[in-house]
Formats: sequence, structure tokens, C-alpha cells
Amino acid sequence: MTRWGLGRGGGFFLVLVALPLFGLQHWVVNLLVFVLMYATMSSAWNLVGGFAGYPSLGHAAFFGIGAYTMALMFHGDVLGSGYEPFIMLPVIALVAAAIGVPIALVSMRTRADVFAIVTITFLFMVQTLAFNLRSLTGGSQGISLPIPPFDAATFERPFYYVLVLLLAVAMLLTFGALHSKVGLALVAVRADEDKARGVGVRVTGVKVLAFSVSVGLTAMVGAVWSYYESFIYPQFAVDPLITIAVVLMTFLGGRATLWGPVLGAFILEAGQQTLAYRLGGSQFYLIAYALVFLVIMLVLPRGILPTLEDRLRMRRRAREVDGAQTPAVELLASDEDKVALPHGGRP
Amino acid sequence: MHALVQGVILGVLTGGVYALMASGQTLIFGIMKVVNLAQGAMVILGAYLAYQLFVSFGIDPFLAIPITTLIMFAVGVAVQLLFLRPLRREDRSELSLLVTFAVALLLEGFMSITWNTSYRSINTGYENASWTVFGYQITQVRLWAFLLSLAALGLLFLLLNRTRFGRAVRATVQNPDSARLLGVESDRVAALGFGLGAATAAAAGSVYGLLYPFNSGSHYDLISRLLSIVVLGGLGSVGGAVVAAVIVSTSSAIVASTVSPSWSEMTFFVILMLVLLVRPQGLFGTVGRGAL
Amino acid sequence: MVSQSNRLRLGVTAAFVVGLISLAACSGTSNGSGSSAKSKPLVIGASISLTGDFADPGKAVKAGYLLWAKQVNAKGGILGRQVKFKIVDDTSSPSQVVTNYQNLINQDHVDLVFGPFSSLLTVPASQVAKRFGYSFIEPAGGGPAVFDAKLDNLFFIQPAPVIKQGEVFADWILSLPAAARPKTAAYAELDDPFAAPIAEAIRARFEAAGIKTVYKQVYPAETQDFSPIAAKIAAAKPDVLVSGTQSEDAYAQVKSLVQLKFSPKFMYMSNGANSPVEFPSKVGASNTTGITSSGDWFPGSTAFGSAAFSAAYIKAYGGTADTIDNTSAESYAAGQVLEEVAKKTGKIDNATIIKTLHSGTWPTVLGNLSWNAIGEPKGTFHLVQWQGGKLVPVYPADVAKAKPLYPKPSWGG
Repeated sequence: MTRWGLGRGGGFFLVLVALPLFGLQHWVVNLLVFVLMYATMSSAWNLVGGFAGYPSLGHAAFFGIGAYTMALMFHGDVLGSGYEPFIMLPVIALVAAAIGVPIALVSMRTRADVFAIVTITFLFMVQTLAFNLRSLTGGSQGISLPIPPFDAATFERPFYYVLVLLLAVAMLLTFGALHSKVGLALVAVRADEDKARGVGVRVTGVKVLAFSVSVGLTAMVGAVWSYYESFIYPQFAVDPLITIAVVLMTFLGGRATLWGPVLGAFILEAGQQTLAYRLGGSQFYLIAYALVFLVIMLVLPRGILPTLEDRLRMRRRAREVDGAQTPAVELLASDEDKVALPHGGRP
Repeated sequence: MHALVQGVILGVLTGGVYALMASGQTLIFGIMKVVNLAQGAMVILGAYLAYQLFVSFGIDPFLAIPITTLIMFAVGVAVQLLFLRPLRREDRSELSLLVTFAVALLLEGFMSITWNTSYRSINTGYENASWTVFGYQITQVRLWAFLLSLAALGLLFLLLNRTRFGRAVRATVQNPDSARLLGVESDRVAALGFGLGAATAAAAGSVYGLLYPFNSGSHYDLISRLLSIVVLGGLGSVGGAVVAAVIVSTSSAIVASTVSPSWSEMTFFVILMLVLLVRPQGLFGTVGRGAL
Repeated sequence: MVSQSNRLRLGVTAAFVVGLISLAACSGTSNGSGSSAKSKPLVIGASISLTGDFADPGKAVKAGYLLWAKQVNAKGGILGRQVKFKIVDDTSSPSQVVTNYQNLINQDHVDLVFGPFSSLLTVPASQVAKRFGYSFIEPAGGGPAVFDAKLDNLFFIQPAPVIKQGEVFADWILSLPAAARPKTAAYAELDDPFAAPIAEAIRARFEAAGIKTVYKQVYPAETQDFSPIAAKIAAAKPDVLVSGTQSEDAYAQVKSLVQLKFSPKFMYMSNGANSPVEFPSKVGASNTTGITSSGDWFPGSTAFGSAAFSAAYIKAYGGTADTIDNTSAESYAAGQVLEEVAKKTGKIDNATIIKTLHSGTWPTVLGNLSWNAIGEPKGTFHLVQWQGGKLVPVYPADVAKAKPLYPKPSWGG
């Protein structure tokens, strides 16, 4: 690695940073704010669901925990409004990660589908708590946050840049997972957990680490969201559909890849928000969404990026057989971003 | 004390209905290793079918069950053939969660177009009748619902234990590969098994529609409950699902009547977490997940 | 050396970048406004839940908006401009509602915006409107959180904020001679921003007046079995039952009480019981007698434009005056308010609307409305009661069409 990788990442973020300066209209920045939220959450989910192979359906619980922690900090007068809430984000991440550790220890005793069900059960528990701990959360009435005092002309920008930063962190962590021992350990867990334990991988530690980092990131996004909306309530702060969307985005782009979750989020979230606005009122919205969903799963079960790469590799193989000209070096180089996990599919 | 006993009565009666729904779901898992997130939506579709038959033709929901189960059996087979069979076997358990969720959305969309989203209830005229026994109130319709669920579960039991199809299903659950070697056509068993799971959903749906108002979004409430039940009982174990359904609905009814309805949902999540702490495979699950 | 796989990823990145830039480009071409204002239609944007949790009431809001537009256009529009609605779906989601109002205001440059359904969506939506200087006339968001934000551009088109909806019942009960007043009360409250607070406000008034609380229970939205709650109410034998309800839970409560054969002397349900068609069909018409609720519009109302509204509604959507949903009347009233502002000032822009509506009273199908500095309406609801299978206004005296009936007869009578 890889000037190309760095260049790609650098270029992408440079464009993201420069974009609002070109006089983007409010509605576009607003759309990008939501897209970035989902890109960050998908990247974070990918650490657990993609690399370690633990399909958590409970991440939205931590989105909600982040959102409510932010709201409570305001109500406990820990925070003033303005930029201060953003500075507190790491604290919120730590709170969520601390809650995540025991949850991971219990739920990661189960695997695959049972793990998915246990985590979604946790999500419903958190939602019930948000409803019932009325003195703390405001219950079904919801809880207000102060209205951010930013200038109307550039209102969305602080949120936008904070999210760009969070996405960068999430992608750097993913990059780290692709190129480090921890990443290798995660992939070993996914491939065969018992064997990994047998050869001395500290399975539990690695799993719990990935889970708590992942939910910490998710909680920060939830916190930013709550400040952006300035009003939260249980059904939508702890919403199973958020998790489902994140999982779908990761699957669409490609699990256990660096760019897959980001690509998935850009396509799906932008598409969904625009469609809901454009097709507004069409009864067929839900059916259309479900069909897109099914087509993705049936046609691209491994996601866009891995499928495309496979196609390319096969075409190249075919050419090699014809001409036997492509140097072997190139083949090796092409796998650089996935030392850890060929194809990103189940080994 | 009175409230406690009343809670137990209510919980056991309701538990029967949930047992019926959950048995279909756990059966589908046993055969295909697919967690069917659309089971709740299928129950609601069953309820709508019963509703429509009642409104259009005056057919009593209990008597409509043979019709609705047949229709839903076909729906189940179609879902399996169209959406689950094409999945590659190694991806199936992970992707099936998403695919069946998409099927749930599809059914929800279909239902909200066909019947829009206002709540429906089946008003038969006998839904308010009740007996008072030793000071405890028993709603008649609940008792009938309970008995019908027991009957349906009994039929399912006979089907699994006394027929060729049942033997093929049980063989597939225990060991798909050797079942295939012995000449069981696993694809056919899978399709019929999914149909059977949907049929139990239809039977439970008729009953559900009699007991509660429902709309196309009701399946979200159902699915969280069903998932807890099947995991608690041990995925793939029909008997476990029945026991877990009764445990779950009894304990939540007791909490609702003695503490507060606000905490009743929480009860079974907590029970589930505690059980998994001790037995990750659920109450009656085996580690290899074989028994039915 | 650039491998093919690298080239692929470069391609994907480039596609991102191109996509982003083209977004920027197309958003840059804002349509410069300012052509002849007279002939241009007046475009009003609104985001309504057409799918999701609030789909049904959302459709009733839409029906009211469109009915008003049709009426006003038949009269030549507002200040000569035809009214056109741009209605988009927010799928009942607070994130989508923010996006929708952003898009309506900044992408489609609508002239005005009206509110969505539910306080939960009104709060984030009203702040987007505020940020861009838009007035926010909204018929369906009256919860405390809406007014907590203290926005000066918001006007809630109902007689009173949600928490004051039940005041009229407390007023009536406390106006009764001491001997006839209830001594004990039970409260069953749905955990919902439009339900529990109404019952809580009544409880505060009752307790201050010495009516003893013998039972109180808050229940969650997914409650299906009301028999445990009903059994406890029956055991507590209250004189008055105050239920903070929405719809299905109201029907289920009545059914459970009927099963237990317990009928209190007074019974108030905040919502559900004021639904003219659903309520009798779900609980049985004979069980409705004597139950009270709150209402604003009612069939045969003599409020401003009420007869025309009722006739137009039946013509457009069918049914009878008894089947008209209050929600549609409320959203229709939002349009009436706008019409009056134009008539009074000769202008129709956001600044004028905000400035004008803070003073004076404004006639609508709901009666005369007026607002304080943060958009809370200053009026009261009517007390409505089921008598002879119909919902009639019974209190206060100036709108009453019949005397309130008490004590409530037992079920089936």
C-alpha cells in the first residue's frame, strides 16, 4: 500500500471537504448529511458484521443511546449549545462502548442468526427503556434539544464537517482492520472461530473490541443526528429500520471491503430520500423498496464491489489463458486491499 | 393474588396462540436454517384473509381456517421458490434474514394497498361474551382460540410424526446431507416446509384477528415477540417453541397485571437474555440444533 | 503500475466524485424568481405521512388541504392567484420530514408551507421553516414539545393545545352542583404525546378540587389485553373514568369494561370516542350512550364556512356530514386562515402572515381562533357526548345542542 489507496482516499475526502464551499444549496447539504450518517454507520457495522461475521441487528440501540446521551447532557447542563456538543462526542462514544462491552460478552456467546436475534432483542429492550424511564427520557413525549445557534445561511455545515470527520475515522479503522493483526484475527473468527481459538487467537478480546469500537462510532452518529433534529422520541431514536438500512447498505456495496459500505450508503440513502420525496404519496413506495432489496440480495449477494472485481479477474484470467502475458506481479498487487479476506465472501 | 391468577389464565390462553405462530417459524428454521422474519407478516395476512372472508361472505373466522391455510400454504411455497431457493447454500443463513425481512416489507406494502392502514377487527358478535368462574373472568373467544390452537398443534404433531412427509422433514432437520443420501428431495421438503410454516401462520392469523385489532404494521410487534419465543425455546425445536410461548406470555401477563403493562414487553427480553447467559442454545435447543 | 482492480476502484471513486459535483452543479442552477407575481400560482408545500404510522390521519389532513384549495380556486384563488399544493410523503419519519421541508423550501421554492401530521414531526419541520423565514401554519401538531421551541412563525390550527383538550370536561364536572359531582376518579392513559397528557391535565384539576384518585395506569402503545386494566378499574369502583386514549385502545377499553359489566357514572375518552363512524361500529352503538369526549368541528356547526365545507366535503369524498373526520376540518381551517390574511392585508407572503396572525381573532370552521406569541391557540374545545347513537356538543352552553346526560346509563342502555 500504496500510493493509489492513499490517493483515492485523500481525493475522496478532499472533494467532500471542498464541496460545501461551491455554494451547494441547503437541500443538497442536508441530503449529504444523512448520506454521511449512514456511510459512517455502515462502515462501523462492517467492522462487526462484515469482518467478524457477527450480523448485529442491534446497532440502532446504540444510535439511540448516543442520541439520548446527547440530550441528557444538555438537560444536565453539562453542555452549552453551539459547537460544544461536538467536542463531547468522544465521551458519548466511550459511554456507548462501555455499555457495549457487557452486551458483547453475553450476546457473542451465540453466533450467526441467533446472535442477530439476540441483538435485535436488545434493541427492543432499549426502546422499551426509552419509553418507560419517563423522568429521564421524556418517554413517548420525546425530549427536546436546544436549537443549534448556527447562521441559517450555513446551518448544515458544522454537522456536515463533523460527519466527514467521523466517516474518515470509521474508514481509517476499517483500513486498519484490513492491514493489521486485529483484522487478521477478526477474519479468523469469521472463518472458523473454534479453530482460531485453538491456534491461540484471543477470540473474545478481539470480538468485544470490534463490537465496542463499532457501537461507539454508531453512538456518535446518533448524537449528531439528535442535535440536528433537535427533538427525539423513542420510535425513531431506537428504530430497527436504521439497522436494517445499514446492513443492506453494507451488503449492497460489499461486506468486509473498505469502500463497499460507503458506496452502499451513497446509493441507497440518497436514492431513498429522493424517491420518498419524488414519488411522494405513491402507495407503491414500500413495495418498490422491498423489490429493490430482493433484487440486490438475489442478483448481487456479495455486493457490488466484490462482484465487479470477480468479473474483472475472470476476464483477465481468460486473457491470460489466451496470451499468457499479464505479469504475475499485477495479480498480487490487485489483492492489496484484501490481504485479509479474499473476495469478501464467506470463505 | 386475584390479579396474579387472572394473569396466569390470560397468559396461558394467549400463549397457545403464540405457540401456533412460533411452531411454524421454528419449523422453517429447522428445515432450512432460515430465520423467517416474515412470519409475523404472514400471520397478519392470514388475519386479513379471515377478515375479508368474514366481511364479504359472512364466514366465521374459525370456519375460514381451512381456506386461509390453503391460500397461505401456496404463498409460503411461492416465497420459498422465488426468493429463498435461489440463494446459495453457504450464504443462506445470513442472507435469509434480509431476504425474509424484504418479504415482510413486500407483504406489508401489499396489505396496506389492499386494505389501507386503518386498524381492522373482526366483530363476530360473540367477542364480548365471557364466563365468570370462581370470580375469574374467562372470555369465551379466548378459550375457543386456545383450544383451536391446541388442535392445530396436534395436527402438526401428527403430520410430523405419522406421515412420510413428516419423516422426510425430520430427517432433513437432523441431518440434511444424509437425508439427501437416503433419497429425500431436500428442495421439495424445503418448499413444502415453508408452506407448512405459512399455513400455521394463517391458522394463528384467523385467531389473532378475532382477539386483537390489527393493521399492516402490526407484524413488527409480532415478530419481536416470535423471535424471542423461538430463540428461548431453542431454534428448530417445535416443543421448545410451545413451552417458550407459554412461559413468555404468562410472565408478561403476570407483570402486566401485577406491576404495570409498560414493563410487560421487557419481561420476556430479560428472560431471554438470562437464559442465553446460561444456555446459549436456548431451553430445548441442541448445540448441533438437530432435534425437532 | 495500475492494476485492473485498482482501476476499478479508481473508477468507483471517480463516479462518486462526479456524482457529487453534478449534484452541486444542478443545485447551483436556482430558478431566479421575480416574474409577474400576479399570474403565478400560489404554491403551498406540505409534507404528510402517506405511508407509515400516521398514514391514515395523514390522508385526512391531505383531504382537507386539497378540498380547501378546490374551494378557493373556484372563487378565483387568493389575490387572483390559483392555489396549488405540492404534497410529499414523509413516511412518518422525522429525518424524512426535515429533508422534505428543506427540499420544498430550497429546491422547489414553494411560496408557503403548511404543517405535517403529528407533533413528533411538527417539531423538526417547524424549525426548518423558521430557519428560512417561512410561516408555519399547522393543523395537527399541538403537543407541548411544539411550543417548547417558542417559535414566532408557528400557528396551531385547533381551538387549544393538546394538553388543554380535556379542560372542557373538567370545567363541566366542576360546574356541577357539589352533590352531583363524582367523589372518586380512575385514570387509564395511553403512553402517547396526544393521550396521557390530556388525562394528566384533568387529574390535576380534579385532585385540586378534592376528587380522589383511586386508580391510575399508564399503558404502552402495544398493549393488546385491556382486561387486567379493566378489572382493576372495576375493582376500584370510581365515579368517573378518565381515559387518555387514541383510537384502538379506546375501543378495547370499552369492550373490556362491557365484558366486566362495569359502567362508571361519568366517562371521558380524549380521542377515539369522538370518531363518529368507527366508535359505534367497533364498540356497538348501544354501548356508546353517555360517553363524553372533546371535539372542535361537528356536523351542523354554525361556525364560519361550516355549511359550505360540509357540502363540499360530501360532494368530493362522499359519505354524510356525520362521517367527516375532524382532522380534515382542521386542515381545511388552515387554508381559511390564509384566505383571511390575504383578504385583510391584500398581501400573501410569509412575513405578512407571521406579523398579522399574532393579533385579532380569525374565523374558521372550528370557530374563532387566536394565538399567543408562540402560536398556542387561546380557545377551548367543545365537550361532545354520545346520545341516541349520535355525537352531540353538550358544553359549554353557547355551542351546546343538547343537555349533558348524567349519570351515564349502564352498558347497552
